[in-house]
Amino acid sequence: MSDHTTTPAKQTGATSASGAAATSAGTGAAGTAAAAGNATSAASAGSASSTTSPASARPTGQSRLRIDATDIARIAVFAAIMAVLGLPAGIAVGSVPITAQTLGVMLAGAILGAWRGALSMVVFLVLVAIGLPLLAGGHGGIGVFVGPSAGYLFGWIIGAFVVGAIVHAAGRKLTWLRTSIGVVIGGIVVVYAVGIPVQAAVTRLPLGQTAVQSLIFIPGDLIKAVIAVAITMTLVRAYPRAFRSRSRA
Amino acid sequence: MTAPIILNNVSVRLGESLALDDVSLRLDQQRIAVIGSNGSGKSTFARLLGGLVPPTTGSLSVHGVDPVTQSKELRRLVGVVFSNPDAQIIMPTVAEDAAFSLRGEKLPKAESAERVRIALEEFGLTDLADRAAHDLSGGQKQLLALCGAVIRRPQLMIADEPTAYLDARNSRLIANHLLAPNDRRLVLVTHDLTLAERCDVAVLFENGRLTGVGDPAEIAARYEASLQC
Amino acid sequence: MLTLYRPGTSWFYRAPAGPKAFALLLVVLGVSLLPSTYSCAALAGGVTVLAYLVSGVGLVELGRQVVGVRWIIVITLAFQVLFVPMEPAIANTARVTAAIVIAALLVLTTRVADLLDALERGLRPFIRFGLDPARIALVLAVAITTVPVLTRLAVGVREAQRARGVRAGLVSFVIPFLVVSLKHADELGDALTARGVN
Repeated sequence: MSDHTTTPAKQTGATSASGAAATSAGTGAAGTAAAAGNATSAASAGSASSTTSPASARPTGQSRLRIDATDIARIAVFAAIMAVLGLPAGIAVGSVPITAQTLGVMLAGAILGAWRGALSMVVFLVLVAIGLPLLAGGHGGIGVFVGPSAGYLFGWIIGAFVVGAIVHAAGRKLTWLRTSIGVVIGGIVVVYAVGIPVQAAVTRLPLGQTAVQSLIFIPGDLIKAVIAVAITMTLVRAYPRAFRSRSRA
Repeated sequence: MTAPIILNNVSVRLGESLALDDVSLRLDQQRIAVIGSNGSGKSTFARLLGGLVPPTTGSLSVHGVDPVTQSKELRRLVGVVFSNPDAQIIMPTVAEDAAFSLRGEKLPKAESAERVRIALEEFGLTDLADRAAHDLSGGQKQLLALCGAVIRRPQLMIADEPTAYLDARNSRLIANHLLAPNDRRLVLVTHDLTLAERCDVAVLFENGRLTGVGDPAEIAARYEASLQC
Repeated sequence: MLTLYRPGTSWFYRAPAGPKAFALLLVVLGVSLLPSTYSCAALAGGVTVLAYLVSGVGLVELGRQVVGVRWIIVITLAFQVLFVPMEPAIANTARVTAAIVIAALLVLTTRVADLLDALERGLRPFIRFGLDPARIALVLAVAITTVPVLTRLAVGVREAQRARGVRAGLVSFVIPFLVVSLKHADELGDALTARGVN
């Protein structure tokens, strides 16, 4: 029953090497009126043609920053992951209770990539701002954005972006070295670079003294960076679909 | 009756593996059961028809619509219900979640409210309209998912193991809703052979290949025979 | 759903969310710019008490809020007295505390749904810069519905591990939790697509 000659699929067969992007472009060119509209999104269609996304069939040309249904789900779910990592039940390492939320910042960038990682932080912080008590210790509300730690929260957004930009700099293939560098620079250096000046401004203490004060958190953050790298590199093997590539099929 | 479902030499590659291997078929019946073991490709078949995964090679037509190039038309045509009740709830309350499906249709407020009311009533959810959707039981959540699909008035309902997470009683409830006489076409992916036998035709997949199309009782018997080990 | 909202009936509760947020922002900004002197610390305290009285939220709730941020007060004050004289140390701590506590009035008196609506309205002028307020509101709504689901998944992961005798640790928890969460995200993405989100 399945042994006809292939008439309708001749073009896609010829170009199958380059995957679904070629399929979409090929069928579009085959004579639909919408072909012109589709052509503009050839690049974005290619970026989304992974196993989970139907987005290669997007009807109109869209900008690169447009987020599709899969992106919405991932950004929202990662914001919720941040919330769980801050649960009061507390995930304790040894006897020192630590907030795992900075770990979440590193993981968001490393797993979702720069843009989606940063957006998931924005979503999480908006939920906090409108009154969900999701920060570690049950804090929330716009009050935290005028307090001493406001800068660190804003730093999470840029930090997740930088983590993603460095970790995914060479596309899909993650390496231990690049992941480690990305997590430390984005997840620690950037977060403090934004957090310390804001804290200094809010508390009206000199920059140097504020920096000294925040040093006590560095050891904990370094531990979390090690954990973030280990988790990311394990996840690459345990759930490779998580690392949906942005720029190639 | 509406136009058929046609696949011409469709293959779907997911990562390393070939989830569907050179499938060609034509289906005109109203209620179609899709059976096969885990990993046989039956779920990929459902996702393909629902426009959730593109064919790697080959072409298909769902009621005259090409899911690859006409995704907008396909969305209007097709409703999908999945297995996991939790992963189908999008909005906080029951009524809001049902209304979410109408979001793209830009209906007048009164009309959309009326359609929500009718749909909630059809699935016995009227009294729960203002409840938090996540506080519902698994069976109620799945009813809500079904409600969210039906409210769009699809010509084709695709159900991918809709009873997999449910107990016997709720499974029967959901199945009865899906199989109730109506003028929708149904593609029902299921492990439950008694449900398959309530359909007009059954399709059997094994290792990504289509190995049988025909009378549900006959196909189900053949599938059972292949399970003897 | 768990929120910081405290039900109430005063005029401040009924005030529209957007203007209310804007007014509170101005007060917080004013308090934040006060000089670091005792008299200004007293002024910040006075404004805070006044704000809680005028809004009808009351002094009991004010007390609860101050207790809620006690660690911020203690830590800020401790480092201030290390580095600066007593007057600016106390004034700075009072100013920071007042700003946080006054800002809290917004979420104490406004429902999450109303704030979401106000946010969506507030973003509308940015449509011309390529922003899509409806889509942003959708992401936020999906995130809000997902928090309790993931909390349940997290509990499930912990229980499964305890049943197998796995010792509680960050790595052994986070990896399976991430896998189930990301799977959930993929399913949710399919559901969104199937219901007309492109």
